[in-house]
Amino acid sequence: MNDNRGRLTRCFSAVFPELNERRIASASPKTVAAWDSIATVTLVSVIEEQFGIGVEPDAFDRLVSFSSILSYVEELTASSH
Amino acid sequence: MKLIDALEALKEDPESQSPVLDVHLACGFTPLHLLTFLNAHLRREFPSYKVLIRTGIFGDLLGYLERLERERPAVTVAVIEWADLDPRLGIRRLGGWETRQMFDITQNVRDQATKLSDSLERISGASLVALALPTLPFPPIAFTPGWQSSSFENEVREILAYLASRLARSCNIRVISLQRLDRISPPGSRFDVKSEISTGFPYKISHADALAGLLSRIIRDPLPKKGLITDLDDTLWKGILGEVNVEGIAWDLEHHALKHGLYQMLLTSLAETGILIGVASKNDPFLVEEAFRKAKLMLPRSRIFPIEVGWGPKSTSVSKVLRAWNVGAESVIFVDDNPLELAEVKAAHAEIECLRFPRDDDEAAYQFLETLRDLFGKHLVSPEDEIRLQSIEASQVIAEASQSDGRAPEHFLQKIAGRLTLSFSKNTRDPRPLELINKTNQFNLNGKRHTEVAWRDYLNDPEVFLLLASYEDKFGPLGKIAVMAGRHKGNKFLVEHWVMSCRAFSRCIEYGCLLHVFQKFGAEAGSFDFAPTSRNTPIQGFFAELMGAAPPAGFSISRQQLFDRCPPVYLEIQEHCDE
Repeated sequence: MNDNRGRLTRCFSAVFPELNERRIASASPKTVAAWDSIATVTLVSVIEEQFGIGVEPDAFDRLVSFSSILSYVEELTASSH
Repeated sequence: MKLIDALEALKEDPESQSPVLDVHLACGFTPLHLLTFLNAHLRREFPSYKVLIRTGIFGDLLGYLERLERERPAVTVAVIEWADLDPRLGIRRLGGWETRQMFDITQNVRDQATKLSDSLERISGASLVALALPTLPFPPIAFTPGWQSSSFENEVREILAYLASRLARSCNIRVISLQRLDRISPPGSRFDVKSEISTGFPYKISHADALAGLLSRIIRDPLPKKGLITDLDDTLWKGILGEVNVEGIAWDLEHHALKHGLYQMLLTSLAETGILIGVASKNDPFLVEEAFRKAKLMLPRSRIFPIEVGWGPKSTSVSKVLRAWNVGAESVIFVDDNPLELAEVKAAHAEIECLRFPRDDDEAAYQFLETLRDLFGKHLVSPEDEIRLQSIEASQVIAEASQSDGRAPEHFLQKIAGRLTLSFSKNTRDPRPLELINKTNQFNLNGKRHTEVAWRDYLNDPEVFLLLASYEDKFGPLGKIAVMAGRHKGNKFLVEHWVMSCRAFSRCIEYGCLLHVFQKFGAEAGSFDFAPTSRNTPIQGFFAELMGAAPPAGFSISRQQLFDRCPPVYLEIQEHCDE
């Protein structure tokens, strides 16, 4: 679990380099000005690459904060085991 | 490179003082990860630059290129996909795939290809262009099954092949090799349909990385090596000459020695493009000369200079070859089948790149040929490349006639009828001046190098002058052998670059150039941005002679000083106007 958090934090840090770890934990499109549609696509691609998962476009609506993305990633990685 | 690695590489800010590499990425789709990877790869290729990539409006490749014709960026990266040639060849527009449309699609592709080609050629007048032609699979439009090639697809590909062939001939346009791309990015794993539909970005991440990597490399265009020194026995030919004699050596299919024949063919091809080919072999000199005389090798004797044969260490032979060529070991490849010999040469010449000839492995031998082509490949072959060997051999004659001060005696120079042609045209399409600046070590004012991009910017400065010198005498032409560049204002000038090929030493060409520059600018004094380097002893000696003492870093000399110290110059000097 903690490993997932660490890996997701790295993904966020790569896409939003201006955020520190504390701000990443509470990140959402409302709190991060750079979080636009391009950033969402980039973030999803990095997450897919890092976790070896495929994110369906329908799931984009759920991916609205660091914590919701973490939950989504943990669901997918748990179901794949 | 993974996407996360590329993004992390972009987090590191280059120093604010770094020069800017201004790149425009023109493509018809949302560039997304291609932009990220291109940025990361360019930073890796140009570590001392701040890379700035701009993009245009997506979906209008031609419109963006036409805008770039006016903006004249330093570098243009153009990535063309099928949909840019006709939207019906993409999947985002539902234009119809009926058979009756194929003729119209083909016509449209032809028109669009012509417009793209014309625009890219206009851009290349002021910009370096890196071009990728369609890399995605051709869509299933034609009525033939996927395993059968359709005349429609072939016709479209023929148009593209013609476009590539036309543009690849252009001096400032470089087209990426689709064959090399196939190797690093398998064609079946490139198209990301989901991403194309949802975001308008058609590439799988691994393909975006591979394509960006090739585009970046083609922009940097690494300097080719200058020379190759080869072993003979079991390398240039199969067999030990001393054991089997001339009749026993082989390089053909019949004698199971084809890889040696292919190696000879490649060396002949390299020699034709100005690469120096020398021999270092432990052998009987008489037998070796007999082999080159009697055996009909694919690599003729006339293409090789020098042949150093004896029973001493290979490293000694390599030293002699390097001296004859007057090039540094870092620009040379040494090839031998024996790992011990390779190690011995490497120990003596740490900078030389040593490659083992894979005499027992056909697959490895073929790969070896590809490696050599990569190390020596060049974008264009210049007239200087074609005469390099001839002029080095002529230089040997003059070097042998030279005195202790490095100059040939007056009576000799009077007789060789030297002609120096000087051009002050700032022709950015001629790659030779930059090639000389980046390759010359010995007669080099300060060792400063330029990228193509920076060089173009430099020449665009109206204060900057460029002198390009060509030389010939009764031994034949040496081609364009010297470059001087700097700034001229009033009756003063500042020289910021000055290089001369070592093939042109001993003929007082440096004096001829300097006298002409003083005369042309009506200058009373000239300054030199001189800096000593570990390799530029010849130019240090020239300035020491001119000034009567070792030159300091950055100095000036007066017209009088030059006239007082200048030796007799037996050159017919003429200025060539080609603007």
